[in-house]
Amino acid sequence: MPTGPLRGALLRANPLALLSIGLFALLGGFFVTDLRTGLVAVGAYLAVAVLVVPTWRYPLLCLAFSGVAAVTVTYSGWRGNGHELAPAVVQGVRVVMVAWPGSVAIGYVDPARLGDHLAQGLRLPARFVAAFVASLQRFGALTHAWGQLDRSRRARGLGPDWRRPLGVVRWMASMAFALLVHALRGASRTAVAMDARGFATAHERSWAEPATWSRTDIVVLVGGLLLALVPPVLTLIG
Amino acid sequence: MLLVGASGAGKTTVLHALTGALGDVIAGDVSGQVALGGRLGLLPQDPMDAVVADRIGRDVAFGPENLGLDRDETWRRVDAALAAVRLPYGRLHPTTALSGGEQQRLALAGLLALEPDVMLLDEPTSMLDPVTAAAVRDAVVEVVGDRTMVVVEHRFEPWLEHVQRVVVLDGGAVVHDGSVASFLATDLPGLWMPGAPDPTPLDVDAALVSPGGSVVAPAGEALVVELVTRMLRGTQRTRALDGLDVATRAGRRLALVGASGAGKSTALAALAGLVRPSAGSLMPDLGRLRSKDVPGVLGWVPQDPEHSFVTTRVRDEVATTAQRVGRAVDVDAMLDTLGLAALADAHPFRLSGGEQRRLALAAGLAHRPGLVMLDEPTVGQDRRTWAAVAGWVAAAAREGAAVAVSTHDDALPVDDVVVLERGRRA
Repeated sequence: MPTGPLRGALLRANPLALLSIGLFALLGGFFVTDLRTGLVAVGAYLAVAVLVVPTWRYPLLCLAFSGVAAVTVTYSGWRGNGHELAPAVVQGVRVVMVAWPGSVAIGYVDPARLGDHLAQGLRLPARFVAAFVASLQRFGALTHAWGQLDRSRRARGLGPDWRRPLGVVRWMASMAFALLVHALRGASRTAVAMDARGFATAHERSWAEPATWSRTDIVVLVGGLLLALVPPVLTLIG
Repeated sequence: MLLVGASGAGKTTVLHALTGALGDVIAGDVSGQVALGGRLGLLPQDPMDAVVADRIGRDVAFGPENLGLDRDETWRRVDAALAAVRLPYGRLHPTTALSGGEQQRLALAGLLALEPDVMLLDEPTSMLDPVTAAAVRDAVVEVVGDRTMVVVEHRFEPWLEHVQRVVVLDGGAVVHDGSVASFLATDLPGLWMPGAPDPTPLDVDAALVSPGGSVVAPAGEALVVELVTRMLRGTQRTRALDGLDVATRAGRRLALVGASGAGKSTALAALAGLVRPSAGSLMPDLGRLRSKDVPGVLGWVPQDPEHSFVTTRVRDEVATTAQRVGRAVDVDAMLDTLGLAALADAHPFRLSGGEQRRLALAAGLAHRPGLVMLDEPTVGQDRRTWAAVAGWVAAAAREGAAVAVSTHDDALPVDDVVVLERGRRA
């Protein structure tokens, strides 16, 4: 669990500061043109991650996914480009640089605060933002529904048999469809409940919390910018 | 005002019409008019549906925000509403950490913060155990003041002293509209009238329930189940079972009872092998079976009937599991017994709440399992569905099946009762 000012930063930072980490990384990734630049940049992100992430499970999971994507890109680059390894590896490293920081940062976004910043900071339409925040809130309910759907399928003999890939695919499809139906029905019930709480007639909403920028948020924003500047600076000084 | 009627009579539809959701959020053809004076607030059946934020303060603030109130007034109303429903937590308490009764009180607070003129309550206590239901009812009565209140409920007796007018629906039409006294003098069928005896359990033909395979009666010793909700901003661990000893027996009906959050449903799922205990022993452990072998011994009826549906026709729903295990099933006799014969070709999702519950019963138990398990089978049900559940489990046990239900309904006839409290025997 988080201790000290650095480790708490990701949990306290405002959602726009967190999202900016991913955006800067995306832009910085364009400047990864050789292996040295790429490795130094990814190394810099890893080093900062060691200092700030509160727990390792999720960042490593994101790294694994980015890694899979990177290997795929490297392989196809190697196949498609006359079996030249070096440029393909650069492409792969760039994928990690572009995907990993943002996917980690977005996980720490608090939906309600994101809503405050989108509506009050970025002036997005209030109704859209309120509905968006309420929909993010429903992810927890979906996890619960997945468990219940899985139970009754298992009890009815329709659970997955992991030794039969085709059966597993069919099970996944059936579960995904049931979850979709469940989500849609849940969403319409929530829509009724929201409308009955004044949302139906709310064209000018107010916001119960202000969207503020604290010193931590500025530090996170500048930190994200500095990390993303590593590749262009390295390219410049050659 | 109290609005009553059997399942499928159109009670919830009336509330939705009042909120203006019909034909708009909910698809369908609408004609006619609704006249309404003042602002309106709805308390939905499932409090989970009302949650829009992950902290209780922000959730209650949703209504005031919609009204465009400034921050001082918003938070004044939030604090007043939370105090009125007696939720003893701060604004930052997570909404996911509330029990069922607390969630319903949170939804009530969200409604109060709107300061509505009309309060619509759609079965506000049907998902709660009696003690929690009484607390929620008291909270409602305390805050309603001189507002208009419309409450829909099957077990309406405790509401009678708090209403002046009763409207009864049947088949989408009003069959009674008058004072409480004139309502009590009527003799309308299918309602839980005060003082009336519990419905006679349905008479179920032995051929429909007599176990088609061997009877398995699992027993658990010192069961521990930890439910983990992982979120990045904190992992939540709840110990749902904490060293529970519980055994099912062939030919007997076991009821797992206790307050909401006591671990009833988890205990049932653990016995059925549907959730892995982290400690303790199960004999036999159905969790070791492959899924295709599970229905050979187990019949499972989940709390939410919609979770169990896997086909697009009522008839297919009843036949599916029996086909998987190669047992004959008389689909028409099943549907006839449960009063679903006219709906044999309907889509399961088109049925009303009570009809869905009866279909889930048929879908889960048509293959005549030797172990019959039902999770909260009588929550929010009308008399007909209640009689079907009670009759079905009685007949199954009589034919030698081991039966277990998790319930907070003390009228449901059973043979053995295990009272749970915080994951262990009380």
